[in-house]
Amino acid sequence: VQEQRGKGINEEEIVNFRLATAGAILACAAVAAAGCGSSSSKGGGATSGGASTPKNASTVTPAMAANPSGNVTWCIGKDTTGAFSQVVKLYNQSHPNVHVRLLELPTSADQQRTQLVQREQAKSPECDVLGMDVIWTAEFAAQGWLKDVTPAIQARSSEFIPSTVKTTEINGKNWAIPFNTNAGLLFYNKGKIHTPPTTWQQAYQMAKSSGGIGFQGQSYEGLTVNYLEMLFSAGGSVLSPDGKKATIDSPQAQQVLAFMQQGLKSGAAPQANLTYMEEESRNAFQTGKVSLLRNWPYVYALARQAKVNFGVEPLPTWAGGKPASVLGGYNLGISAYSKNPGAALSFINYATEPAAQKKFFIKSSLPAVVASVYHDPAVIKAQPFAPPLLKAVESGQARPVSPVYPQISEAIYKNVYSALSSGTSPKSALSQAQSQINSALKTF
Amino acid sequence: VATAQATLARPRQRRRSGLPERRLAAAMVSPSLIVILIVAAFPIGYAIWLSLHQYSVIHPGLSRWVGLDNYRDALGSGSFWSAVKVTFIFTAISVTLELALGMGMALLMHAAFKGRTVLRAVVLVPWAILTVGTALTWKYIVSPDSGFFNQILKALHLPGANKVWLAENGYAMTVMVIADVWKTAPFMALLLLAGLQVIPEELEDAARVDGASAWQRFVKVTLPLLRPAILVALIFRTLDALRIFDLPYVLTQGSNGTTTLSLYSYQQLTQNRLIGPGSALAVLTFIIVMAVSFVYIRFAGENIRQMAAEK
Repeated sequence: VQEQRGKGINEEEIVNFRLATAGAILACAAVAAAGCGSSSSKGGGATSGGASTPKNASTVTPAMAANPSGNVTWCIGKDTTGAFSQVVKLYNQSHPNVHVRLLELPTSADQQRTQLVQREQAKSPECDVLGMDVIWTAEFAAQGWLKDVTPAIQARSSEFIPSTVKTTEINGKNWAIPFNTNAGLLFYNKGKIHTPPTTWQQAYQMAKSSGGIGFQGQSYEGLTVNYLEMLFSAGGSVLSPDGKKATIDSPQAQQVLAFMQQGLKSGAAPQANLTYMEEESRNAFQTGKVSLLRNWPYVYALARQAKVNFGVEPLPTWAGGKPASVLGGYNLGISAYSKNPGAALSFINYATEPAAQKKFFIKSSLPAVVASVYHDPAVIKAQPFAPPLLKAVESGQARPVSPVYPQISEAIYKNVYSALSSGTSPKSALSQAQSQINSALKTF
Repeated sequence: VATAQATLARPRQRRRSGLPERRLAAAMVSPSLIVILIVAAFPIGYAIWLSLHQYSVIHPGLSRWVGLDNYRDALGSGSFWSAVKVTFIFTAISVTLELALGMGMALLMHAAFKGRTVLRAVVLVPWAILTVGTALTWKYIVSPDSGFFNQILKALHLPGANKVWLAENGYAMTVMVIADVWKTAPFMALLLLAGLQVIPEELEDAARVDGASAWQRFVKVTLPLLRPAILVALIFRTLDALRIFDLPYVLTQGSNGTTTLSLYSYQQLTQNRLIGPGSALAVLTFIIVMAVSFVYIRFAGENIRQMAAEK
């Protein structure tokens, strides 16, 4: 008995220890995310005395790009169609003194951002040219990771579609150069709808009798975009012109939200929209579950492959409102830690001139930021949605350009979602969003 | 580490040299302890350090010491407590179901029949699938447009054929629980099966001779002897379930009452880049998980001590 008891206690000790270790390891994983993902620069450093962009940021002028030489690295999301590397090759051929290298980041936008943030936080000079989603531009500028490219934009201001330049602008300065743009379009099934709607009210009316309208209604960034498209058209806004106060708790915002709520209730927009992101809603359209669809231009080629008989138009407007859309796309910035900003600018200019823009548009379906490209017959042949898209982009608005944009967007999509899915009243959802945005704006 | 522990502790029969041997054991364990310290303790310490600061998203490179402010904010916010509630509800329901189902599967696999080995391997397949894969699969299964769940309901003329399961409070959580149970019940079953196999058959036979019914044999003989295995399985599953992230991230993005603690801290930390508050949430998650595992370990220790005493 003695022997057995001894053994028992022994085992207990082992078990205890094993469990403790296992517990500790498992639990650690919860915190590990914090440990690895967030190596942040410590205080001290360059302060900016309250301004939201650094005052001492260095400026890149067109003159610096006159005689480019040396190495440049372009960091941007995966080159899925080969157009990026093609343009890099052409540039290198025509500029023998410069060698541009393409560094491909992951496909997912979140991953791209994380990778760029890590490099910039480490003050890495590896990436000279940063490919940034339009909604990160403000954050990157505020963190002092970008060079001021205002003179470079001014020198070419007549070339760009003005709305796309807006996405690069903070405190009256430009921190990046538009690279490609994007705007939502309305796809409609020609078998079910003969004349496309021109107002959202008409669209929902038609949807009710023809199979429904699809949009991106999951609780994520896409819902913010969908909501803002209607809100901007109805004349509403998110922030005051000086960007210091939330203005989303407005009568227009309430009307728009109530309208979307009603659309789901009446069946004009199927409940399934609340689970849709881009791809799910595209599937619903292609399989005939909905007859109208708000989505990005990429749907065009895929729906055509799927042999859907459909048409495409700029987004409807709010009845009595103005045309509006919300811009997507990428900007190219020059890293504050770049050792070769002149050549970087030379390359950016090359990549944003009509010739290269046409290539990106045709080959990769990346809509150009230069208006003339949209009228090019070769472009229209390859991307027949170019004319409606140009209209959409021209009337496009930037999402709030703010370093705390992720929090602003979260306040919008979470509260809009709760109004749409669990019937929170538009009034209380929006006043909640308003106060959350206001506290986000006070973020240190 | 666990196996190293087991092999180290065994040659204890040579009792004469008690203390030096303990020291030797300590020396031999120390390399792995150092590795654990570097791999585990450093990130924890660093996360705690981060959680006591605020890192500016407006002013480049600026940070400030805020003491426990981030914790005060988290504990005072409705989002945190709702995430705690969601996490615990999810854990309680899914782990209970997994235990019940896993027990059934283990008993079945324990019975001797042809093809038992194959079944044991097959049963583990769901567990071998990545959680993200599981989540995507279930998202597709319950999708209102093309998912087969609604198609089956429609074919059988049952109610709910047009329901959007993931867009409603309650149902979204239900799908999440089902996906988790589907994936991890086999794991539970495997752990319990291992426990079942070390129970001597003679005990069962003796009970049978004494005239105990199948249910009595299960409750009075199998279950008590299985207790340590059950506890280990429960600890593993509970700690895992408390940290659930992939399922809500893929299935619902945290909508409709499925924002768990891990998802919430991810949103704060990665999406909003609120490093201080996000780290505080991660540390709170860590504390909660530690507290729960501590309770379990106390309970497990107590239990095994009791069993030893009974012997």
